[in-house]
Amino acid sequence: MSPNNQKPDLDDSINVAEAHGRVVREAAAAARERRILAAGNEPISVWVLSACGIALVFAGAIIGNAGTFLDYASLYRKNYVRASAPGGGESGPAPKTALEAYKAKGKKIYTAKCNGCHGADAKGDGANYPSLAGSPWVLGDSERFAMIVLNGLQGPASSGKAFGVMPSQAAGLTPEDLAGVLTFVRNDFGNEVGDVITTEMAKAAMDISANRSKAGQPVTGAELEADHLKALPGDPIDPSVMVDPITLAPVEAASP
Amino acid sequence: MSSALYNTTDEDVLLRAGIDRSLRHPVMFFLTSGAAWLAVSILLGVIASAKVHWPSLLAGCPFLTYGRVFPAHMNALIYGWGMQAAFAVILWLTARLTRKECTAVGTILTAGHIWNLGVTLGVVGILSGHGTGMPWMEFPVFAWPVLIFSYAAIMVWPFIQFRVRPEGHVYISQWYLLAAVIWFPWVYITANVFLHCLQGSPLMAAGVNAWFRSAMIFLFFTPVALGTAYYLAPKVTGRPVFSYTLAKLGFWTLAVIAPWAGMQKLTGAPIPYFLPYVGGAATAMLFVPAAAAGVNTLRTILSNKETLSSSPALRFTTAGMGSLILLGAAAVFLNLPGSTLPRTQFSLSGYGFDILALYGFFTLTMFGATYFIVPRVTRREWLSRRLIKTHFLFSVYGTIFVALVAIFGGLLQGGSQEDFTKPWATGAAKDAYPYALTITVSWALILFSNIFFFIHLTFMWLRLGRRSSHPTLLVFSHGGSPHGEEGDIDNVGPASAH
Repeated sequence: MSPNNQKPDLDDSINVAEAHGRVVREAAAAARERRILAAGNEPISVWVLSACGIALVFAGAIIGNAGTFLDYASLYRKNYVRASAPGGGESGPAPKTALEAYKAKGKKIYTAKCNGCHGADAKGDGANYPSLAGSPWVLGDSERFAMIVLNGLQGPASSGKAFGVMPSQAAGLTPEDLAGVLTFVRNDFGNEVGDVITTEMAKAAMDISANRSKAGQPVTGAELEADHLKALPGDPIDPSVMVDPITLAPVEAASP
Repeated sequence: MSSALYNTTDEDVLLRAGIDRSLRHPVMFFLTSGAAWLAVSILLGVIASAKVHWPSLLAGCPFLTYGRVFPAHMNALIYGWGMQAAFAVILWLTARLTRKECTAVGTILTAGHIWNLGVTLGVVGILSGHGTGMPWMEFPVFAWPVLIFSYAAIMVWPFIQFRVRPEGHVYISQWYLLAAVIWFPWVYITANVFLHCLQGSPLMAAGVNAWFRSAMIFLFFTPVALGTAYYLAPKVTGRPVFSYTLAKLGFWTLAVIAPWAGMQKLTGAPIPYFLPYVGGAATAMLFVPAAAAGVNTLRTILSNKETLSSSPALRFTTAGMGSLILLGAAAVFLNLPGSTLPRTQFSLSGYGFDILALYGFFTLTMFGATYFIVPRVTRREWLSRRLIKTHFLFSVYGTIFVALVAIFGGLLQGGSQEDFTKPWATGAAKDAYPYALTITVSWALILFSNIFFFIHLTFMWLRLGRRSSHPTLLVFSHGGSPHGEEGDIDNVGPASAH
């Protein structure tokens, strides 16, 4: 405290030391602050500049991925197909269920080999070519059906009516093709057997066909009745299991 | 330091004290209710994160399903805490920088209550299943006009103060704060009008939404935090800003680059093909403003290491600026098309990046500002050194764990998602499991410290702080008062604090 307490206590008389003391007590935090009048102008470190440069190079690389900027053709990817998973290598097209994959294969074979006579709707024409839709020989035992496709058919068909002679369709048919076309006909055109004739079963069918006593001749209803009234040997596959649509092999990782 | 650097007079001190006093209630209202929202948000974050690795937790309660809790967590963090902390800091800093007392306290407080009402209704709306499903805009549609009008009623005042400021130099902090005040309505109104009022392509709507999220970080929270750091660093250390040229460079690069960023989240989506790449490149280029501001403030702070170790404000700011540099590096690292970018779009990585920005960078800087501002506006010193220390350690380590673990765990998780031959349960979910567990534990620790932060702050608002002329510093002393040298208690005698 300053010693000039003799002065009258007037409002406009400010004791500087006392005022300062009050400021420091009441606004101690504000009084600690200092007003800085200078602005620094230190040189920018070369490390900061080069780090920024590297970031800009990365940014340029990202832009570079965008292709030509305003060329309309490059604004979208035509026929874009998803790249295979990283580390997945040649994982190929997306897997489908076994039934779908076999049918997709079989549809192509049907179009190439069967369409001409049995028709695009598989109804035949009623006169020379029988219908495959709803036929008990198509829907029934798979070995019987396979023998007809592989060897052709002579004499009356399942309905009892005798159509013309059906020639063998085995030429150029691989086991995958046979499996596909059997599965397709049994599960399309209103047919709903629901099972899948696997490649393994189709292979067995080809062996059985080659070992017939009358190999090379079309089968007859009597022979089918006598020798082939059974399902093709081989392990059945769950129609809903995911397989590769090209190789028809089950996709292993999809069934943990 | 030479005395020519400083100029402190009693008039200066009285002016500062007057400004601080005029803003006591707005600042304390926004900080305290913000801190309460922060605790709520982190609690929701703990629940949301726990559901990633423990899906049956609280499964019977429809209010707490993941699809509601997670958006409620993010929106409470952004609008409850982030925006309110920004209000407090912008109001106080602008008043200090323009050297004018605030004269609209009543309006600001009223608008602040309306803002809180809007946020409350919005969060309740999300939890009751009325969210919009647009990330960071999940509040039911009625909320956004409420928020933007109360924003206008609050943030028009710093703008007016700037208009009537005394002539003279405009400091870099003011640039950043004013930019944030103007950019937020632009970003918020654009996004909300496009998504709620106009009928556009839903695909572009997703793009607008992605841009909005990026713009909220880089056009609002970033400038607010940088304005704060540029004020605190020289103020607390007593040293001038390391390089003022670098500060301006940082501002203009941010202003030019940031609006382009954001659409990289839509890479691979059928929107115009160049947009995601422009977004990715712009986000990577944000390294430049981040590094400029980060290095500049850190060099300023490191010029006075003793103050750094003892000042809570400076410690938090330093942590925030460190996170900023990490954020800039992550912006480059996470946006490389063909390697990291596809892995960050739908995984924990995107969340990690957001948390690094919103918590590691923005929130830690706001904590720094809080520890600086509150003793000034309440004229009381912080009660407990130990609480501050706990808060600092838990926040910094917690953030590092949440953000970095989410970023790296998300990269693995995203890799498994990309490989479509891997089943979800044994691939992506299994990869994310340990990281999600770590995130839950870290959030729980952060929650613990933030509840004490909220209580500490409430005591300060009630003016139950220490009445002393000595600040609460993070110094270790053997014996004696845990707060260091006690200094002069109010009304005891003349001060000697200089």
